[in-house]
Formats: sequence, C-alpha cells, structure tokens
Amino acid sequence: MKPETAITGRIFNLQRFSTKDGPGIRTTVFLKGCNLSCCWCHNPESISARYELNYAQTNCVFCGECESICPEEAINIRDESWLLDESRCTLCGDCVRACRHGALGLWGKEFTPQELIAVLLKDRDYYEDSGGGVTFSGGEPLLQNSFLTACMGLLKETEIHTAIDSALNVQWNIIKKVLPFTDLILIDVKGINPVNHLENTSVKFDLIHENIQRLKEMENSPTIHVRLPLIRGLNDDPEQLPELIELLSNWPALTRIELLPYHNLGAEKSVQLVSDYSQDTYQAPPNKVLQEFETTLENAALPVMKSF
Amino acid sequence: MLPDYIQDSIDQWFTKSEEATFYERIELFRDGWNIYQHESYAERYGRVFSYILDRMSVVIHDRELLVGSVNEIIPDEEQRAYAESLVDEYWGNSTEEQKQEWISFYYSTGWYRRRHPDFFTFGHLAYNWDTLVTKGLGWYLNKAQNLLDGGSFRAEPERESFLKGAIISYRGIMNFIDRYADEAEALAKETRNSEEKSRLTEISALCKRIVSGPAKTFREALQLIWFVTLASQKVAGCGVFCFSRMDQYLLPYYEKDLASGEMTREQALVLIEDFYNKNNDIMNPGDHMSQEDDKVRNNLEVTYDDPNYIILGGLLEEGRSGINELSHLFIRAAHEMRLRNPWIVVRYHDGINDSFWKETVAAMRDNATVTIYNDETMIPALLEYEIDPEDVYDYGFYGCNDPLIPAEEGGLRQLWINLPWPVELAMNGGKPFMNVEDVPDGNWTLRDRLIGLMYGPFQGVESNLEEISSMDDFLELYRANLSLLMRQFREGMEADYQVEKRCSAGKIRIEDLFLNGTIEAAENWITGGVKYHKITMQGSGFSTAADSLAAVNKAVFVDGRCTLMELRDALADNFKGHDELHKYLKEIAKYGNDESVADGFANKLGHIFCDVISEMNRERQGLYTYMPAISTDRDFTLQGSRLGATPNGRLAGEPVGENQSPATGADKNGITALLNSASAIPFKRITGGPLNVMLHPSAVDRDEGLNKLASLFRVYMKKGGMQLQLNVVGRDELIKAQKHPERYRSLCVRVTGYAAYFVQMGKVAQDELIHRTVNY
Repeated sequence: MKPETAITGRIFNLQRFSTKDGPGIRTTVFLKGCNLSCCWCHNPESISARYELNYAQTNCVFCGECESICPEEAINIRDESWLLDESRCTLCGDCVRACRHGALGLWGKEFTPQELIAVLLKDRDYYEDSGGGVTFSGGEPLLQNSFLTACMGLLKETEIHTAIDSALNVQWNIIKKVLPFTDLILIDVKGINPVNHLENTSVKFDLIHENIQRLKEMENSPTIHVRLPLIRGLNDDPEQLPELIELLSNWPALTRIELLPYHNLGAEKSVQLVSDYSQDTYQAPPNKVLQEFETTLENAALPVMKSF
Repeated sequence: MLPDYIQDSIDQWFTKSEEATFYERIELFRDGWNIYQHESYAERYGRVFSYILDRMSVVIHDRELLVGSVNEIIPDEEQRAYAESLVDEYWGNSTEEQKQEWISFYYSTGWYRRRHPDFFTFGHLAYNWDTLVTKGLGWYLNKAQNLLDGGSFRAEPERESFLKGAIISYRGIMNFIDRYADEAEALAKETRNSEEKSRLTEISALCKRIVSGPAKTFREALQLIWFVTLASQKVAGCGVFCFSRMDQYLLPYYEKDLASGEMTREQALVLIEDFYNKNNDIMNPGDHMSQEDDKVRNNLEVTYDDPNYIILGGLLEEGRSGINELSHLFIRAAHEMRLRNPWIVVRYHDGINDSFWKETVAAMRDNATVTIYNDETMIPALLEYEIDPEDVYDYGFYGCNDPLIPAEEGGLRQLWINLPWPVELAMNGGKPFMNVEDVPDGNWTLRDRLIGLMYGPFQGVESNLEEISSMDDFLELYRANLSLLMRQFREGMEADYQVEKRCSAGKIRIEDLFLNGTIEAAENWITGGVKYHKITMQGSGFSTAADSLAAVNKAVFVDGRCTLMELRDALADNFKGHDELHKYLKEIAKYGNDESVADGFANKLGHIFCDVISEMNRERQGLYTYMPAISTDRDFTLQGSRLGATPNGRLAGEPVGENQSPATGADKNGITALLNSASAIPFKRITGGPLNVMLHPSAVDRDEGLNKLASLFRVYMKKGGMQLQLNVVGRDELIKAQKHPERYRSLCVRVTGYAAYFVQMGKVAQDELIHRTVNY
C-alpha cells in the first residue's frame, strides 16, 4: 500500500511503556483535539486541536530568560508569578527553547504516518514479548480519522496489535473506516444518564449510544473494553446501574469493564496549562459506591475488573 | 509470614540510635594491641583478633535459630573521647606517603579512620564459602598446621609467621563458636521454658559440631558462615562480602535435609530470613556516602554501613540454568523483608525460568534490594579480561557493582576514570581549561590513586586542533588522551604496588584465611597469594562524554556550524558570549532517547574505552589486569567540579552524567527509549556498573503491571543490557519521607552502586534523589 503522504496528525504526547491502555507493553499515541469537554478532564491539553503553551510552575525559578527572549513581549514575570498575554503569543516556541529548567513546553507536534510508525516500531520487541502494541488515544483519536486510518493500516502490515481509546462520539462511517485495522476498542463511557451526560461533557449521549448498539450487533467485532470514569456526584449514581447493565449485556466482544474512580493526577497539569481550564475539586466516589458498582456488574455476569 | 522474633529485631534496628556501637571491640583491640606488641606482625594480628573474640560478649537472643550478635552500647562522652583519641593516635597527621605504606588503598576517609593501620582490611571480596562449609574450620587449621610442620617454609620466617598467624586466627574463631556452645548450654540449664530449653540445647550441640567439623545440615552451614562473617566483619572490619552463589553451594544441604525430614521448606525459609536479619542487624545505620552528616562521619564502627551481596540464578558451567528451589526461597525472603542488607544479585540468562523471573521482578517492584545482571553479556566480557573459562561461571559482585571471581582475588582496587576528561584535553591541545592551584603540575597525586578517583585536571597529549580534519581524527585524539591517562594511572599503581609489596611482606589480613592459594603459598593476597589481581576501571561521566562526542560531530563535521577552534573558544569562555552556539549545542540529540546518532557515539565511546583496556592487558606490564565498568557511584558531582565546559552544552564545574544514565533531564522519551539507548553500549565488553531506573508505582501495579515490568526487563536483557536496578517510588512520597522520617524508616532506595534507607541519607543526597525521581 502506498501511504498517503499529504496527511499529518497532531499529537500532544507519545507515551512509551504505557501500561494502562490495553494488554501488554504499549505505546499510547495521544491525538490532540476532542469533541467532548468533560469537566473533570485529566488531559486538558488534549481538548483544543491547536498548539498550546504549557507552564510548569514547580520547575520555574523565575530567571527571566523566557521573558527577555520573547519577540512579542507576551511574557511578564512579576514577584514570582509568571504571566502570559495569550493575545500576543504566537506559539513560536522561543521561550520553550530558552528555558533551562524544564518549566515551559509546547503541547502538540505534527507527524506524518511514516514518522509516527518509525517511532512506534522502536518498541516492537517489547510489544511482542508482552503481548502489547499501540493504542491511539486523545483527545478523540477518531477526529483525525484519515491520519488514524493511515497509521493503523501501516501497523497492521507489521502485525502489531492496535487499539483505539475513544468516546465514540463521531459518525458511524468514521468508526467503520478504522475497524478493519483495529484489534481492540477501549470505549470511555462517561455516564449513561442523558441529562447528566450533556451537563458533564457538553455532548448528548444519543450518538454514542447508537454507536455502541452498532458495535454490539457487528459480526467480527474487535475486542471491546469499556472504561467508566466515576466522579462523585456527577456520574456515580447507582440508580443508573440497571440501564448500564442492559447496555453492556449480551455483548460477546466485551471482555473487560474497568471502573476508573477519579484521581487528581491531572490537577497539576491543569495548573500548568496556561489556558484557563476550570478544574475544581472533583473527588472519587466513596468506596461503598465503587463496591456497589463492582458487585452489581459482577452479579450481572459482566467482566468487571476488580479494583482490589 | 516473617516470624515475630525477626520482625521485632528489624523494628529494633530501625529505631536504634545511630550512635549505638560495638564499643567492646575498641577497648579490647587497644588492650590486645599493647599486650602482643612484641610478636611478629602476623602472630600479633592473630593474637589480637583472638583476644577480642575470646573476651567480647556472647549474645543469644530469644527464639532466634541462628546465633551470633554483638553487644552494642551508646558510648558516653568519655568513651567517645577515648575512641576519638585512638583515631588520632593511629592516624594523627599521617601523610599520604605513610598511608600508602600502611594501607595502600582507602577510597574514602571513612574507610580507614576506625581501623588501626596495621589491623586493616578493606573487605570487598568473597571467601571460599563452599570449602568453608563442606570442610570446616578444623580442615583449614590442619592444612596450615601441616604446612608449618612440613617445614618447607623454614627458611622463610615471614611465611612461617604468616602460617602461625593464620593458625592462631582459626583457633580464635573456633573458640568463639565454642563460647556460644557453652553459653547456650548454660542458658538452657537456667530456663524453665521447655521450648527455649530445647532450642538452646539444640544450638549448643550444633555449635559444638561446627567448631571444627564441616556443616552437615543447611542450618549448620548458615550458622558456620554467620560465625565467620561476624568475626571477620565486626572484629576485623572486613566489610562488603560477596556470599557468592548461595543457591548453588547450599543446595546439596537443602535437598538432603528435605529428603531426610530434618527440615521443611518453610523452616528453610525461616533460616534464610534469620540469616538476612543477622546481616542487617550488624550494619550500622546511616549512609556512608553522606559524609557531610556528622553522625556518619563520627561513626565508630568498622563495618560501616555497607551491605553484603548474595548471588542467585545464572548459568552453570555445563551451560544449563542454575535456578533451583533454593533460588526461589532466597528471592522470596528478600521480597518479604525488603532490607538493604543483604543485596541480592539475580543473574539473568536466556530462557530463564518464568516464575523465578517474575518473583525477582516482583521483589524489585516492591523495593526489595534486588538487582539483575545478564550472564549473556557478563560472561563474554569477563573472558575478554582474562578470567579463565573454569572460573567465569562463578562470577559475582560486591559494592558498588564491581565484578569478582569468588575466593580467587583479594579486595577492591578501582579507579573512577572521568571519561569527559579526554574530550577536554583533545579540545585544548592536551591542557585543561581550568586552573586549579592545589594540583601540582596538573598531574596525578598519590592521593588520587589512594582513593582511586580521577577528577583532574591532568595533562594530555600535545596536539593541534587545526590538524584535525574529520570526526575519525577527533575520535583518535580522544582515544590517545584516554590511553595516556590510563597508562599514567597504571604506571602509578604499579609503582605503588612495589611499595605495597615491600610493606606487606609477612603481613596477614583476615581474608587471607579463606581465599584460595594464600595459605598454600603462606603469603597474603596482596603480595601474590591469589590467582587474579585486577583493577576495576570505573568509566564515569559516560553520558557527558558520549553526548560531547556527538555534539562535536554534528556541530563541526555535519552541520559545519562552527570550527573546532571556535568550539574550543566557546568552551574556554564557558559559553559566555557564545549564547547562540550554546543553545544550538544543547539541542543536539542526546544519549538516552533512542536516537541512533547519539546512541551510536555511546557505542563508539564504549568500544574505545574497552579497546584501550584490552590493549593495556595485552601489554602485560606489571601485576594488574584492568576491567572496564561504567559507573560513577555518587562522585559525579565531584568529577564535574574541575571539568571545564563540555561540547554537549554542560557548563564548567557542573556534575557529569550519573552511572549509565543519560544526562539529567535529557531522556525525554520514556523508559523503553532509555533502555534501547543503553543497550547500544557494548556490554559484552563491560564488566559492571549500574543503570538506575525510576518508575512510579502506579505504572506497574497489580499482577498485570508486574507481567509488563517482567517483560520490560527481560527484553532489555535480550537486547544486550547488562544490569538494571529499580526505584519504584514517587517524588511526592520521597518529599513526605523527608518531612516525616519516622513514618518512612524502612523506605529503601537504590542510589547508585548501593542501597540506602532514604531517611538515613544526608539532606544533600536526599535532595539529589528527589531531583532525579520521576514526577507524575
């Protein structure tokens, strides 16, 4: 297959030795841009499809190198506070290169499929030994579907296990395009109560629901893992369990359900990001609630992964 | 589950005062040393050694299965002042020349200050443990006695005296064991507790049997090893043992005892745990590398705080795997206890048993002191440096990650050679950039050799940069400078050896009793009693040198960004006024990112280093064989202190790269990229040194995470990695531990070539580790 050379993808992170996004040792490719905006998002840098400047206050020594090098005079340092005038910043990256303390970074980098595959293949020995492979995550990887399809196609030629980590909030024909190259889909279900879903993510659940139904009905479906982020008071009401069970039952391809109680590892990143993401004090559900989710799903003969 | 009595003992160790010390030794030594002052050297050594063993307290704790402990006290002011006055008396204002005559090599002040110059050993070696347990002390005694009685050394009083000293020392240890037998018997009579009575009676009988005879059971073997260790380390100060392949030489005992019903598998595990606890218990709290810490500096112990090593797994000479039931038990005990002493080395080989590998990695993940080494690289490497094929399969390690052939060689000799130095000398016509007044003529000092640390500045090969027209020319110049420095070092060490040989004639050190060849030759290992005499060349600042070579190549010969002369000027100016060039140099791809050009220079550098060493060995000038390791220990700060700016963008005086790690902060592509880069180093020619890997615990939790970690390490070994040690601990946790040490007493971290309890490290070392730890 002659690769389409014109396509590029915008990636905000390449995580090698990724251990939480499918079987074995994997490389997870985080594609930038998302069409959900979950209020608790762990990867706020993934939401916008454009480049962003990242500032890590913990590493900053306020030396002023970035301030003096910025050609647009967009940076101001005053008494141990670092301020960016975003209307001036052109994301040229001069400040990032000037920073000796690792306090500044640019989120987002362009790759052609060939460039990306070259990096992914470097860890092939690890994938093969551990039964791992490559996972495309995001953001919403399906939004960059031409790039994604090209990459997945190239990976399939080398027989590397492929996975996508998606919320499935895209048209079915986009999903259909990548399915032939996909071994595993990790579906992030942010809740199944339509009202809450809209409130929490700014997106309706309908399309997602429809796509899940289509996947369930598919013959030769990729393996499915469902991941349920659970945030106290937002989507952890056990009353939704019967509906959830109905949604996930009778689905032979579904081999694993993971409950992901909220953790605040993203909180620090959110502070680092210059743009203003509101990430208030979200909390994991109480253990009792987690236990109830786990037990109820287990009793319904669903493949829920034990958290303890 | 760990028996309560062992857990209690560990808890007590963690809470004991750092001032607690085996004070009896200090006074007994001083008395004995005076009493026997008229004896010949070796006899005086043996008499004093026995004098202490005959009089020190015999300590038997409740419920323990193995016995052998010392009585510690917290010295009062007067006692401490007395101990300090002895240090002054022994070492006073001694010059380096005097120290050289007395002890020849000392690595750091901490090593010698508690020892008497004539009652000195530096440890770092392996006895022939196999022979000890299968033959017994009586066999050794008879061998020495027969040699003496045979009269073949009658014309050589120094050798006769050596044998007499050995005989007295063997008797000293035997009597010491006998005292434990008597004490156990006496305690058995006193106690009304029937369980204790039978335990003590059994201990007494067991001790009686091994006073002279060989060990007949697994327990006897461990007990005999322990008595010899206790006497060697706590009395004679012979620290940092390698117990070598315990899962091999103890296997016949284990199998026999299981078959006869003498012992169950569970009982064997408890004995191993008891043995580990004994090792931990005699070690002083503290961290010997934190010399800024008063508690460490003023430590009165001869054993210091270094762990002993146990080697598990690996290939047997006939080519099959040595992993057996005992290997599993030894690793399980290490996992359950997670102490920093003993330090476990697991030897990987292709086709290694899956469950054993997983247990090993599980122990590493849970912060047990376990490191892995690769037989597939180590064996070819050791063969290159003249280890005989019949010895090579028994290779082991002692701190800090130096290889050894058990019982066939004496103690540690090493040189920390600063690999970025030749870059500087090549860039500057053979002259250093920095003027340092306290170094005469910019050349080697005796002290540099005594502590084995090369941190310059030194003079190199006179050269003219204008004659360098290709990267190959530059690499050749690098090699010429490296070769010159190492040959200067050899010249110095060989000259030092002549002094040492002259001053060591007729002397004995405790290890001479249990090495191969010393008793037979009636000669200590220093003057030639053993088979191998080696110096480990610890190549330091590896990433700094590799990155610098890559930078010269790209800046001068690929991009044409500057000439060599312009680059030299920028380095000489420490990049002041050369901001653009500095920025450009810093952005050149670095070793550690799975980037082929930079890693290619890591490979070239490794080969150059090994080529020079092999060449020196082929020339065979003098006593020593040289072996390359890639290691800095914690001296990377010191080694950078006199080094000018380097072409990788490092500023003058900044630290050089740590061990096999990429330059601080340079590895940006994750752990697989780091391991891919490291496997570019030609490890089939390198014989030691650590690669520190940091992981956050959340990345490898549960059984799934463990499988992934086991796979990660296996692939690194398959790719030709040599060694790996792991810290699975988050930065947040370290910061918490710094603030609340009382809650983190047992948090054990691997620093460079050794492990430390984090809360016992000095603040400087703690901060350094926090700085280098993965942040999530």
